[in-house]
Amino acid sequence: MEVADHKAPTLENGQLADENADVLQFMDSMDAYFTLLHSLSSTLRQYQIQGWLELASARHSMGAYRVNTVLLDHTSHSAATTLLVTQDEGKVDSVEPRFTLCKWGSSSNEKFLGEKQSSQDQLHPQLRHRGSTQLSEEKTSSENKASCEIDDQVQKGRSKSLSVFGTLVSPKLRSAQLSFETALETLVEMANARSEMLYAFDKVDKKLGDGKE
Amino acid sequence: MANRAQIPNSNSALIAMIADEDTVVGFLLAGVGNVDLRRNTNYLIVDSKTTVKQIEDAFKEFTTREDIAVVLISQYIANMIRFLVDNYNKPVPAILEIPSKDHPYDPAHDSILSRVKYLFSAESVASGRR
Repeated sequence: MEVADHKAPTLENGQLADENADVLQFMDSMDAYFTLLHSLSSTLRQYQIQGWLELASARHSMGAYRVNTVLLDHTSHSAATTLLVTQDEGKVDSVEPRFTLCKWGSSSNEKFLGEKQSSQDQLHPQLRHRGSTQLSEEKTSSENKASCEIDDQVQKGRSKSLSVFGTLVSPKLRSAQLSFETALETLVEMANARSEMLYAFDKVDKKLGDGKE
Repeated sequence: MANRAQIPNSNSALIAMIADEDTVVGFLLAGVGNVDLRRNTNYLIVDSKTTVKQIEDAFKEFTTREDIAVVLISQYIANMIRFLVDNYNKPVPAILEIPSKDHPYDPAHDSILSRVKYLFSAESVASGRR
């Protein structure tokens, strides 16, 4: 009887500890989310305001008829800046998406160039037998070449986006473009923080729901 | 709260926008604009002539499209369709309320905060202890 009495409180204590751990995790993630939200909102607003002011300045110098939505490209075209959405593999029973920003197709470019490099390595295995210094120099030069190709791709993407408003655009419009790009990075961070918090919230909410039943 | 279905991994998901002209133009400069073969865009420019119904329809469209991962919506526009935004509970696409030129961000209206508030209400804590 005494053994059974000891077991029952232990089980309850274990469940209580488990629930407390989930609640603490939720509180921590919520604290992190709102702290991040506050700082990111300030950063976002800073870059957005900067972008809005630069846009207004560009409109002033180029003319309102040259910087407006009438000029937007309504023909079929794909977005150059997209998101990579993955699910956290460590959390099988949850839905916590992770967002990664791919600006101007940069992530897809890096992947393509990485695959190209590995296929070249397979075609020329004798490179592995050369001296380490020469190999590292070749690797550095190939990395530099890959980096240059990515930079070219990014610059082409930016120029194409600006070309909607004409061939010669105000430097302020280019600055506005960079400001909004930075704002996008901030927003993706916010999306990830939101996702983490909602995952923790979902766990606590589920526990509360089970407890009420 | 969240659906238990797996999130399909996507390497080219879009960012949708429901915002004023300058905000949309700014993010379009950053390269997020997409127009498909049917000339459907991933953005809605809201001005004084845009009706609440149009905003609602755009929100419903963007949150049901499989190629959209994040929906950016100006908070003052989200307030016009607050019922829809607060009742949205899917992990993807993620809804982010952003400030606009004339309306700074107000955390009190954030849909995530309002969803979390009830956890700390006296009633929910008391019912949990029963």
